[in-house]
Amino acid sequence: MRYIKIYLTCVRIAFSQAAAYRTDFILGNVITLLSNILFPLVTVVIYANGAEFPGWTMWEVLLIQSVFSMSNGLSAMLTNGVLWVTFDHIREGSFEIVLLKPLPPLFYLMAINFSTGSLGHFAGGLVLTIVSALNSGADACGIPAFLLLFAAGTAVMCGLDLIMAAISFKWVGNSRIPEIFDSISEFGKYPLGIFPKPLRILAAFVIPVAVVGFFPASALLGRSESYMLLAVIPCAVFLAFGIWLYNRMIKRYEGVGG
Amino acid sequence: MSWLKHKLEICRAVAFVTYNEWSAYRSHSLVSVFVGPVYFIVQYFIWTAVYGDSSSFGGMELEQTVRYFGVSALIGYLTMDFADWNLQMLVRTGKFLTFALRPVHHRFFALSQKLGHRVLGFIFEFLPCFLIFLFVFRIDIIPVHIGWTVLSVALAFLMNFYVNYCIGMTAFYFVQARGIRTVYQLVSSVFSGVLVPLSFFPGSVQWVMMFLPFQYTNYITAMVWSGSESIGELGLTIPQAVMFQGVATVVAALFSELVYRASIKRFTAVGA
Repeated sequence: MRYIKIYLTCVRIAFSQAAAYRTDFILGNVITLLSNILFPLVTVVIYANGAEFPGWTMWEVLLIQSVFSMSNGLSAMLTNGVLWVTFDHIREGSFEIVLLKPLPPLFYLMAINFSTGSLGHFAGGLVLTIVSALNSGADACGIPAFLLLFAAGTAVMCGLDLIMAAISFKWVGNSRIPEIFDSISEFGKYPLGIFPKPLRILAAFVIPVAVVGFFPASALLGRSESYMLLAVIPCAVFLAFGIWLYNRMIKRYEGVGG
Repeated sequence: MSWLKHKLEICRAVAFVTYNEWSAYRSHSLVSVFVGPVYFIVQYFIWTAVYGDSSSFGGMELEQTVRYFGVSALIGYLTMDFADWNLQMLVRTGKFLTFALRPVHHRFFALSQKLGHRVLGFIFEFLPCFLIFLFVFRIDIIPVHIGWTVLSVALAFLMNFYVNYCIGMTAFYFVQARGIRTVYQLVSSVFSGVLVPLSFFPGSVQWVMMFLPFQYTNYITAMVWSGSESIGELGLTIPQAVMFQGVATVVAALFSELVYRASIKRFTAVGA
């Protein structure tokens, strides 16, 4: 209960800070919204030229991508700040400031780095998801499975952020670490069937990025298969691994910067 | 002649120092050896699925499209630029003052830095990825016309730099110009042909793009590298496309000088 109160206070402060720099906040979110519009451009161009992903309509593919975007926006609000602040603290050799706080370091960093700037990302994904769902004949019966898989997908994205942050304890000052994981998450933005079987298994159960966009969208479209719900387990494991790794790497913090 | 020699000496010295400075972070560059092929694999499967049984899409065959994305990634390693970020940081913090006092134009200094940085990129990003694309993925990635390709890459290198430098100069007018950079990068990623070859866009869009700088930083060079015989809506030959690129680069260079002369008057050296 105490932690929830602290977290909510930090969220309130984050919004107050955003209100102090209103123009920057609004501009930042508008830009993010615009980037959301451009994000599915490849899909639109493909379908505008009369081609298609076999067995998928344009709105169905856009639904996958907008759910991915929504999940990405939500995880960015919750954990993406941890990555960059950890990265800076390690490079500066100032992580002791976090360790001295009377709270678990990971929780403290998550709370004070709630990102209001990612609201536009989430909102853009939400709007696009609703529009795509309405145009692709989504099935309301699939909403419970969708919500479960969406939560699992967001857990994967949060897990990725924490793993990246944990890596920065050893790979000091490498701002390109996120690119590695961004490239892997590309597999979650398209119908899984276009990839060969080994990559499908990898994206569904090992680094479960398919659960971020493809599985929830399939549930909403009534196209889910029984094995998809099983993928919730590796997602939980993935998040737990991220938390464990981050906490373990804190013990290896050397405090010398880099 | 001695003026040119002096300039080249400065350029070599700055490039050499930048190379050594960034060599300490060469493992950062090696990230591309993983990221580049992974993005390529995704693109390969996307376009293989999209083409299906059809032989051509947007005027390009599957093999051409796959090669386009490989080439496009390689061009990115050769021309990557962050002059905009660097200049904005210098102006915002007031550190630009140290450059304003030096007997070297900051743009020339920044260009020399970019040369050194990209030599490093050539060794640790371009070469490994080139070999992976060629021998692992077995893409026909060798330029068809090496002379035209080298010239086109050089022009893309300069074009990218001049345009980014202009974006960086917005920092003289705004305290925080990060938003402008983000918008530019967003628009550029679409209209430079990094996400999709411009030939997949409607003819009218391609025609408008002839008068904007974006396609000269990637698309034209990728098509020249691939040896395309008819580039864009105008159906340009390779020499014509490179000529257009050359003219656009000269215009961008002149424009950046005009903006620089107007902007430098606003520099207060106070920082923010």
